[in-house]
Amino acid sequence: MEPHKVDMFVMTNSKFFDSHQIPLIRERLVQSDDTKWIPLQSIQFKDPTISLIVSLLGGAFGIDRFLIGDVGLGIAKLLTCGGLGVWTIVDWFLIMGTTRDKNLDKIHEVLY
Amino acid sequence: MSSSREIYGLLLISCAAGYAYLFYSISAPEAGHGTLCLFKNITGIACPSCGSTRAVIALFQGRVYDSLSYNPFGLAIAAIMLISPVWITRDLFLKQESLFARYRQIEKWLVQPAVYLPAIMLVLINWAWNILKGI
Repeated sequence: MEPHKVDMFVMTNSKFFDSHQIPLIRERLVQSDDTKWIPLQSIQFKDPTISLIVSLLGGAFGIDRFLIGDVGLGIAKLLTCGGLGVWTIVDWFLIMGTTRDKNLDKIHEVLY
Repeated sequence: MSSSREIYGLLLISCAAGYAYLFYSISAPEAGHGTLCLFKNITGIACPSCGSTRAVIALFQGRVYDSLSYNPFGLAIAAIMLISPVWITRDLFLKQESLFARYRQIEKWLVQPAVYLPAIMLVLINWAWNILKGI
């Protein structure tokens, strides 16, 4: 892909990824061919800030985990009332990083 | 994507914690301890899964009707607590990932709107019932 296209993509989507992942993503995108551009543009990333808000409000029922696509863990959290409250609090701190990891997984799915 | 190791570890730890808490609840007198549920302690309102400890205990004692009237979630929890340790041990011995494959399959099945919308409704109805029961 052309570097200026990749730079534009990275700039508009940088908030969805960890800062240390961005150079790697950029490198991978430059190496990949142009046919991936449209599917790449159509990926719907999850916003880490939104997932944090959902985690603060509905974390006790696992809604944050459902939101980022971890349905199984969401059910586990719902059944245990947010891991007796402990898991809920742990997830307030973990959920943003997990959301970014999920976004990276989505890019991987498109590129490979 | 969470790996099979994470899922297996989480399942085993939560089952162990579940059995420990179950043992503690049975051995300690009923009136002696309150609820561990953070949501109920803070808001005073029952959460969707409040009462499931009592439901699991009742189920293991054979009182199925009592168990269901405490909280139907107890049935799901008891099933997971009984089945998953056996299944994980089998997977470890046979070096397979059949439980993880099934977990992925169920996750895929659940994200269809025709499945999750009724499921959400059931959870909400159960929650309303929990609050009305004053569990």
